[in-house]
Order: sequence, then structure tokens, then C-alpha cells
Amino acid sequence: MVWQTIWGQIVDLSLVAVLLRLMTPILLASLGGLISDIGGVINIGLEGLMLMSAFTSIAVGSSTGNWAVGVLAGVATSVLISYGMGFFSLKMKVDIIITGFAVNIFGSGFTIFLMSKLYGMTGNYSPTGAPRIPVVNIPFIEDVPVLGKLLSGHSLMVWIALLSVAFCMFLIYRTPYGVHLRSVGEAPYAAQSLGIPAKRIQYSALAWSGAFAGLAGAFMSNGLTNMFVKDMTAGTGFLALAVVLLGNRNPIGILLGSLIFGLASALATIVQTVPNSPIPSQFIQMIPYVVTIAALVFFALRNKRRLATMP
Amino acid sequence: MKSSKALFLEVGGILAAVVTALICGFVVILLTSSEPFTAISALLLDPLSSTFNIGTILNKAVPLILTGLALSVVFQSGVFSMGAEGQLYIGAFVGALAAIYLPAMSPWIHFPLVIVCALLGGALFGMIPGVLKAYLNANEIVTTLMLNFVAILTTSYFVNNQLKAASGGGYAKMENISKDLLLPKIFPGMAAHAGIIIAVVAVIVVYLLMYKTSIGYELRLVGKNGHFARYGGIATRKVIVVSVMISGALAGLAGIVEVLGIHGTFKENFSASLGFDGIIIALLARNHPVGVLIAALFYAYIQVGAQTMQFGSDMPREVAVIIQVMLVLLVSAQAIFTYIKQRYARSGQKAVK
Repeated sequence: MVWQTIWGQIVDLSLVAVLLRLMTPILLASLGGLISDIGGVINIGLEGLMLMSAFTSIAVGSSTGNWAVGVLAGVATSVLISYGMGFFSLKMKVDIIITGFAVNIFGSGFTIFLMSKLYGMTGNYSPTGAPRIPVVNIPFIEDVPVLGKLLSGHSLMVWIALLSVAFCMFLIYRTPYGVHLRSVGEAPYAAQSLGIPAKRIQYSALAWSGAFAGLAGAFMSNGLTNMFVKDMTAGTGFLALAVVLLGNRNPIGILLGSLIFGLASALATIVQTVPNSPIPSQFIQMIPYVVTIAALVFFALRNKRRLATMP
Repeated sequence: MKSSKALFLEVGGILAAVVTALICGFVVILLTSSEPFTAISALLLDPLSSTFNIGTILNKAVPLILTGLALSVVFQSGVFSMGAEGQLYIGAFVGALAAIYLPAMSPWIHFPLVIVCALLGGALFGMIPGVLKAYLNANEIVTTLMLNFVAILTTSYFVNNQLKAASGGGYAKMENISKDLLLPKIFPGMAAHAGIIIAVVAVIVVYLLMYKTSIGYELRLVGKNGHFARYGGIATRKVIVVSVMISGALAGLAGIVEVLGIHGTFKENFSASLGFDGIIIALLARNHPVGVLIAALFYAYIQVGAQTMQFGSDMPREVAVIIQVMLVLLVSAQAIFTYIKQRYARSGQKAVK
């Protein structure tokens, strides 16, 4: 029964669509996590940033009637909070992990606070007629049998996420900014002594991570569901942290990692909807976490061997 | 120059941070509420207005004290574990299994067995990230966060399937635990259960362990300066694993006390992020066991205050989040504390001249 459903979805390619949809927020958030990680300011506040952006995006989007304004407002909020993180961690010398932790509490609680103050709701807010992030139907290709289903009919944000991978490759490895970012992350004092403004680079790294987390959050409320549910990110921000390490801190690896995580949650959704499934959905949901731990162990062993064989 | 004056400055700084955080909360209330003074008084005074509310504060403080202790131990060894949540679930789960499925015996034997099972469950689950950190240098933040999900999902699977109570009425929970094993109320008629006694005992034990035994000394030394500790002949890896295991055991204890004191059985998703609240407590307390006790009581007081405020005014209880966030940020702002100490050091020098 389950196998037939899964096989059916693979054959008619609807699994691909689900996979891409579920992968997108993980991918975007992980790219944000990657840039801050490379800059040496690990952002564990992605979860909170995504929630703030998700709420702002749907609130502004539904009141203006324009999805683009909503998404921009969400991203702007997220970037603003990231600057706040920068202020507390770089200026007030709060440990960056603690800062991120605080942002997570803030994002979870403050969105519920705003929701109950602005709309009188405590669980979820689903405005009628909120504009959605549009779906891209590619002319001609959408009529081609297999290719049409593979390439056409995805949300615009799916394409933005995929393009962001290329953008991050370019930003990190092909621009002077990327060189500065990497050097600040590797050795901040050495970079500083060479005249690289380390603090400013780290502020900007946090801002980039805020921007990507903002896109991810906006997609969750304005693209995936068209509503805001309290704590709707449900650990995606933490998954993103794992994907950064799973992807061995490079954009292509992160794309692959996000695909694995997206696939696991797509399968879990299928298993949950099929009655009397022989595989418990909890174990499928667990796959990403176990894979991440296994990958961490693998990388650690490889590093150890590399250190041991060094002359 | 670690004198009583340094301690005084530290405590004074923390108190100032607490007051500032409260003021931030008040400002938000003033800006958004139509009856701000009712809300503020409901927040500050109502929690202390009845013995029932005071009992609720104590009950809320119990798991916070235990998770706060758990994290203060592991933070002292320099490991930034975020895994108390998962360890709490595993501890509570194993403890509840022992409470329900062990053959009938005298509660005087059974109760300690349940507690030991919970301690062991938490400790063994804590050992996983500990070993990964100590021997493979795997990032403990990510491994503990991942293991939290593993713990929550695994226990959720079991209470939804094999171990689901038939009488649960659709809820995912185990069979009810025998009344003999549940924690009694301290005073008849008061809400507070005996978990607070367990928590206070745990504070004393952890204090003795950390400051009066060699393992505690080694643990703190590894946290302060790992290279120096290793040079001094301390098996730093072993110490890290032990510290994460102690932390896991305390988190497991928090879980079983919550189950035996409040819920009466293991329920799916019963811990509303108690393990993460423990991080805040440990930060507020500067990882000191006595500080943990005070910080947890204060934190529980704010939580109950937020509830009474939601009940007695137009403010939602999430306002407390603003106070919590500002607390975390201000208390950990090293820049402020360094500034205070430098000011003091300078004025001290002048006094000598």
C-alpha cells in the first residue's frame, strides 16, 4: 500500500514536485547558515529569523495584497534582526551561540504575541485571499510530457533557491568579498591585521544569513501554506545547521544535503497520509537527523586520518 | 583578586540586567496594552497572591532547577550541549517504563529503582554526543540538537504504538503509573509536589560534586583551559564524557520528576522545551548550583506571572518572552561585565594612591 503510493508518485513525477517544494526552505536557510558559518559567526538563530519573516511576510502580503511586498518585508525584518544579532554578539560580546538561541526564543514568542495582539489569534492566522508567491509555468515546455512536469509548475521561490546556490558559489569563491569572508572566518585577527574590516564583514555575513532565512520563512507562509501557524518552521532552522555541516560547508554539498532532507520529509508526508502503514512515519522523519550525525562522524574520522598522515 | 567584591560586582551586574530586562517588558506592555498597570500588577503581584499560585511557581521551578543544573555542569566543562531536552525525554521514558512494567514490589524499593533508571537513561543518551565530542571532535551543538529530535520521535513512536494506553482516550500516553509511586503533595491542599525536595537535594549534591570533589575540580579545569588541564595530566576526554553523562542524568531526573509529579504517566511531547529553558537558567546562574536554584525560582515566577497576566488583563503571556530574551542577552553581554570590572579596578587603584 505504502510502497504502491510511493512508487505511483515516483512514476507520475509528483514526488519531484513535492520534493522540490519541501527542499526549498531547507536549502535557502542552509545557504544563509553557510555564509555566516564561513564568516565565523555561526547563526543558530535561523529558526527564529524564519518565523519572524514568515509572519511579517504573510501579514504585510495580505494587507497590501501584493506577495512581493510581503516577501520583501519579511526579508527586511529578518535582516534587521540579524543586524541586532550582530550588535549583541560583536559589540556587546554576547556569545554568538547564545545570541542565536535568544533569537530563536524571540522569534517563536514574539510572532505569537503579534498574532494575538494584531489579529486576536493564538494558534494560526490564515487571512482570506492572501496573495501567494506565483507559480512559474514555462511556455511550450509545460506541454512536453515528462519535461513539463519536471521543470514547469514550480513556485518562483524554488527557482530562486536553486539560483541562490549558484549565487553563493559565485559570492564565496569568485568575489573579493568572498575571499575576505573566508579569511575572516578562518583567522579573524590575521585578516584584521591585513586591513580587512573583520567586524563589518561579520555583520554582513549575518545580514546575508538573515536575508536567506527571510526568503525561507516567507516561502513557508506565503508559498507552502498561505497561512501562519505558531512555530510553523518546526525545526527547519536546526535542520539547516545540520545541512551546512552535512554539505561539508560548500553550496553544492548543501544542495545535495537539502535534497536528502527534502526527500525524507516528502516520504514522511506520504507515509503519514497512507492509513495502516507498515513503516512508522517517526522513523522516516528521523532519517535526516541520523544521517547528519553519521555524516559528522564520517567527516571527523576523515579529518583525523588526514591529520594522522600529515608529515 | 577573586574576592567577595568581585562576586558582589558580578551579582550586582546580574541584578541590574534582570531589572533592565523587566523594564523592557514593562515598556512593551505600556506601548501595547490598553490597561498597562493592571497588566503589570497581574504580572508581578498575582503569582504571589495565593498559596495555589505559589505552589505552581514551585512546581514550575522543579524541572527548571534540574535542567539548569544539568546544563551548568556541562557548560562548566566547556561543552555547549543543547541536548537536555532529548535526555529529559529518554530519562522520563526509561523511568516510566520501570515504573509501569517492573513486577509489583514495595514502593520503597520501586521508587528508587525508577529514579535510577531515569538517571541511567539520561546519562547513557548523553554519552553519545559526549563521546562524539571528546574522541571525534564532532560539533556538540549540532549532534545534541539532532539527538533531541531522535529522542522525541523515538519516544513518540512507542507511545503511539506498542506502549499506548488503551484507556488513553485518543491521547498518546502510557498506562497510568501506580499512585504509590507518584510524588505526593508537600502539604495537603497545596499544589506543590515533593519534586522540589528532590531538586534541592540535587542542588546540594551538584554543589558538593563540583566544588568539593576531584572530579568536579577536573571538570572545571577542563572548561577553563583544556590544554593546561591535559598538560597537567588530566584525561580531558574522559572528563568531557563524564560531564555530559552527569548532565544527561540530571536532565533525565528532571524528566521523571515531571512525569511523577505532574503528568502521572509518560505523554507524547510533555516537555514544553524545559531542556532549552535550562540553558537560560544556567546562563543566569553563571553555572553555579545555588544560582541555579535562585534563577529557576525567578524564572518560574515570571512564567506564572505571565499566565496570571494573560488571565487578568488584555496582554498575551508571550510578553514574558521579551523579558526572557533581554535577560539572556544582557546577562551574557561580556562587554558590560568587563566594563563594570574595569571601572571597579580603576577606582580601586586610585584608592591605593
